[in-house]
Amino acid sequence: MNNKELIASMANKMKAPKAVVAVLLETIVSTCTELLVEDKTIGFQSFGTFEVRKKEERLSVHPSTQIRTLIPPKLVVNFKQSNILKDKLKDMPHHE
Amino acid sequence: MNKEKISSQEIIDLVASKASVSKRAAEEFLKVMIASVEEGLLAGEVVKIKSFGTFKLQWNEPRKSVNVQTGEEILITGYYKVVFIPDSVLKEQVNEPFAHLEPVELDSIPQKKELIDEVDDALDPLRIFTEQATEIKNLLSEIQAISAKPISITPESQQPADTRQEVESIQEVQPAETKKEVESIQEVQAAETKEEEDKIIQDVQPFDTKLEDETIQEVQPAVTKPEDEITTKVQPSETTKPEVQPAEIKPETEIIHEIQPPVTETIPDVVENVQTPDEKLHYENLLNSIDKKPKEPVILQEPLENNIEKEVEIKPIPSDKNESQLISDLPVTPYLENVNRTKRSKAWIWIVVVLLLVSGLGAGIYFYFNPTSELNIFTENISITETFKTVSGWFTSKPKPKPTQVAAKVVIPKDKNEYDSIPQHQPVDSTQLLFDNPRVFNDFIASERMKAGTRLTIISKRYYGSKDFWVYIYEANKERISNPDHIPIGTLIRIPKLNPRLIDLSNPRCVEKAKQLHDIYVK
Repeated sequence: MNNKELIASMANKMKAPKAVVAVLLETIVSTCTELLVEDKTIGFQSFGTFEVRKKEERLSVHPSTQIRTLIPPKLVVNFKQSNILKDKLKDMPHHE
Repeated sequence: MNKEKISSQEIIDLVASKASVSKRAAEEFLKVMIASVEEGLLAGEVVKIKSFGTFKLQWNEPRKSVNVQTGEEILITGYYKVVFIPDSVLKEQVNEPFAHLEPVELDSIPQKKELIDEVDDALDPLRIFTEQATEIKNLLSEIQAISAKPISITPESQQPADTRQEVESIQEVQPAETKKEVESIQEVQAAETKEEEDKIIQDVQPFDTKLEDETIQEVQPAVTKPEDEITTKVQPSETTKPEVQPAEIKPETEIIHEIQPPVTETIPDVVENVQTPDEKLHYENLLNSIDKKPKEPVILQEPLENNIEKEVEIKPIPSDKNESQLISDLPVTPYLENVNRTKRSKAWIWIVVVLLLVSGLGAGIYFYFNPTSELNIFTENISITETFKTVSGWFTSKPKPKPTQVAAKVVIPKDKNEYDSIPQHQPVDSTQLLFDNPRVFNDFIASERMKAGTRLTIISKRYYGSKDFWVYIYEANKERISNPDHIPIGTLIRIPKLNPRLIDLSNPRCVEKAKQLHDIYVK
């Protein structure tokens, strides 16, 4: 399900035009991004939390060339699903 | 964790105010959004939200574990987990404080390569020195091989022997260090042949630059020294009386040097002029000696002369008009045998030939050095080599064609020298000038106040398109920044207006220059 399909399904549920849904979705995304950049944790109830985590710098060694590279620290967005969502997923059968 | 946690309610408020919709509508929208995502996920799909990220399910395999309290083995069943992969837009925005950092290769190979290259460049002149030294060595051994023949026969052979010794002494110094050799030669020259050389050099010197001067001084001793010896050594064999020698030598050399410039035409005259007084003296001496000791000196001379005759015969002397003329013009003396005279005239021809060579060499060097005002150390080496070539030619007695050969030979190494010894200058183009000129920052396009997390590199990236050019911002704000790595928060940084060619990202030299500056500033 890509962005378009998501908007379509949402518009269908809300019975609202897709354009409005798209604008709203964009607003939410930009709001969340801003909050994350400010190093804030966003928790959506019954869904999960978005959080910025710092990955410390590390030394990586290339397995074949043995070149050691210093990887600088970086900030990444981490999502942790809520227990409610987890329970919902438990019912899903494993297909493979 | 002092992270502020934002609940869905706050998000709803923010979205409502931003999109200017009612909170109720925003709340409903959010709920629908989450429901849709869940729905998509539950359908086993990957849900993508533009410029935010993708949600997808990940299957975690069942695994065994132990109950920490009871130590019982338990089986954790497999389950699905929602994973979120942030979109690149979100990633970059979040990671902005660390965006300027790049992975650093600790055992980087290119750096080492550069070092080796530098060392190679530094060794290059030395290598050329040693190469030329071996070349000279080979030449000298050739000379020795050639000069070995006459040594065994005559007292005159002392002359080649001596020169050889000298040559050897030079040779000994050469491999060690060519500079030393040059010095030693200069010293010897100063001691031995100053007067004469001065005369010779005077002709050439006024036109020369300093370096040329040196070269000639180095070349001269090599040639004039043996010449000197010849004069001094040839004399005793001729005159047999030591008292006469000093008186004789002086005028001779002077005459020779007076005549030197117009060498080719005046040879017969010179020889004649020189010979007459000399012969007179000689004859007088001989008469005296005969008076005192009637037979002995003449007898002593005979084998010697014969030997010389032999030697001369062995050597192929090109039939020279002057020579033959000389021999025919020689005054007939009743006291001495013909052999004696021919021997003496031969000796004088020797001297004249040597002088010819010297002057030819001098002319060659002069013509060689005149057109090119740029010189370097290596020309000295070659000149010396050439000189020894001449000396070797002198022993094998190829008198006439030699000077022109020398001139031609000296010209050849010139190109080679220029080729391998002139340091490679980078083409001085406008870009290089741009780099070399001190940068003056008068125009400023903006100013920034340092915040937490702000880096010069980030500013540079924003204004110039590459973080490499931060050095120029630093240069423009040097008086405010003590350490470019730690700029106090609140510092006002002025962004200079730079020549677009200086920060041309498509020109690798601009980036290279900036990196060089970076290495200078970050120590």
